[in-house]
Amino acid sequence: MHKSNRTTIVLLMAPGLLVFCLAILFPLILSGYLGLTDSHGISDARFIGFQNFVELLTNDNVFWSSLLNALLLGLGYVLIQHPICVLLAVLLDKLSGKLELFFQILFFIPAMISVVVVTKLWVNVYNPSFGLLNNLLQAVGLGDFKQEWLADYNLALPSLLAMTIWIGFGYGFLLYYAGIKGVPEELYEAARIDGAGEWRVLFKITLPLLKPVIIVNVTLAMINALKQMEVVYLATGGGPANATQFVANYLYSKAFLSSEFGYANAISVVFALICLGLTIAFDRFTKKDGGLV
Amino acid sequence: MSILALQHRLAEGLIVVLLFLFALLQLFPLVWLVDFSLLKSGDFFGSEVLKWPDPPQFQNYVIAWERGRIPLFLLNSLLVCGVSVAVTLYLALTLSYALKRLQWRLSKFFLIVILLGMMIPIHTTLLPNFIVFSLLGIRDNYFSLIIPYVAFSMPLAVFIMTGFLESVPKSLDESAIIDGCGYFAVVFKIIMPVTKPALVTIMILTFISCWNEFIMAATYLSNEDLKTLPFAIYKFTNQFGADYSLQFAVMVMGTIPSLALYFIFNKQIIKGIMVGAVKG
Repeated sequence: MHKSNRTTIVLLMAPGLLVFCLAILFPLILSGYLGLTDSHGISDARFIGFQNFVELLTNDNVFWSSLLNALLLGLGYVLIQHPICVLLAVLLDKLSGKLELFFQILFFIPAMISVVVVTKLWVNVYNPSFGLLNNLLQAVGLGDFKQEWLADYNLALPSLLAMTIWIGFGYGFLLYYAGIKGVPEELYEAARIDGAGEWRVLFKITLPLLKPVIIVNVTLAMINALKQMEVVYLATGGGPANATQFVANYLYSKAFLSSEFGYANAISVVFALICLGLTIAFDRFTKKDGGLV
Repeated sequence: MSILALQHRLAEGLIVVLLFLFALLQLFPLVWLVDFSLLKSGDFFGSEVLKWPDPPQFQNYVIAWERGRIPLFLLNSLLVCGVSVAVTLYLALTLSYALKRLQWRLSKFFLIVILLGMMIPIHTTLLPNFIVFSLLGIRDNYFSLIIPYVAFSMPLAVFIMTGFLESVPKSLDESAIIDGCGYFAVVFKIIMPVTKPALVTIMILTFISCWNEFIMAATYLSNEDLKTLPFAIYKFTNQFGADYSLQFAVMVMGTIPSLALYFIFNKQIIKGIMVGAVKG
């Protein structure tokens, strides 16, 4: 390569790499260093080796229960949200023209709204004194089941999971809908000519062809569940008594509420490694569908 | 044949009813939000599911608009998102061109490093960036949002752009180079026009994610005057804890810009998300 080319490459690459290093790479390295200290803020950090990491992995129940909550959310996505998404996507695919577009637009509306608004909306839906949910229960004669949904230690996690699944519905739906749109129409026609019923078509043609889409979506759901933060932060702050804690929110509250900055950074580093490891593992697993690395 | 047609009609009707019921389940909380935003705060309590606002309290919106300083925060959001989108587009073009079209030894390595950025959760950079931005003196400054917004939009943007470049014939830009055209001229005069669909997708995805971003804004900004819309709504709902009708009015106003954009560009947005979500 001639010289002008080298200068060009530097000129083209430098701004992007600079931003990348400044906001992603360098912070991760700094986090790794701070995780090895007992820092309580910007100054006065003392190097304490792997103490934070040992404490985190061997003696921190909240950390492990945060991971368990993420797993539950992931399972909720896969076992509750995804089947509904697939069913609706299959049904919607049978419509055409304006009607199809209409529902497609309708289903995605909640996903377009800022997470702050949707979460605050749901906090109000769950409000024990005027919330929509309690009033609905009352209206259908189930007034005895009225609850303090987000404040009750046993109900907080299921309530939070339910709203998170509701909030994520639009994206889940769209991914499956895109997959179903990719199934060639001729296959359906051929099956119908052979006299196959709707259920048979669904289980013998649509779902098997959707397998790669399902694998990718399940992967995404698990990773998204692990990364969950905003809904938790805005709705419960991880409470009551860490019942709804998630990793990202946990490290955040450790840093900014209890000033255990070093420890919070150790959580942050472990969290980044888990996400990276999980993504690479899934990516290898789904390699034949076009892996990333 | 007519029986078949009738059957078909019936099945279609049934599907529409089912889909409609589900849409209702999805949208009912929003209907409730709008309904209650028109009540007096005192009328919130009671056991009715929906209440006819009698008369509708439109002044809730007027008061929330002024006390919530909505115009200022809208402007902040527009500014931060606008700059972030523009810079992301510029970087997506230059990086992807250098990584895909120019031959150099480390291009593959840098591509992988940048794409790995997609897997890093933003939350793991909140604490160190809080310190970095404090040291650089750019906390409480638009840059403390624009820099991370660009950094976290860039990997997906590069992913979309490099993918799209595969379908653009190399001869197009190579012949321009041979004709003596400079590299930057090639990027902006030849690559940019032909990659318009990818640029639109990147623009939409970046804008939506910046527009709705909350946790970085809440972490890096404390100056009241710089807040973006989601953070402002959050502050407002806490500040007016007991004044429910104002809270509800602010929440409705917070959704209007996103929904307006969505209704205008729904086809592009849905297509963009389908492209982006697969690897996002």
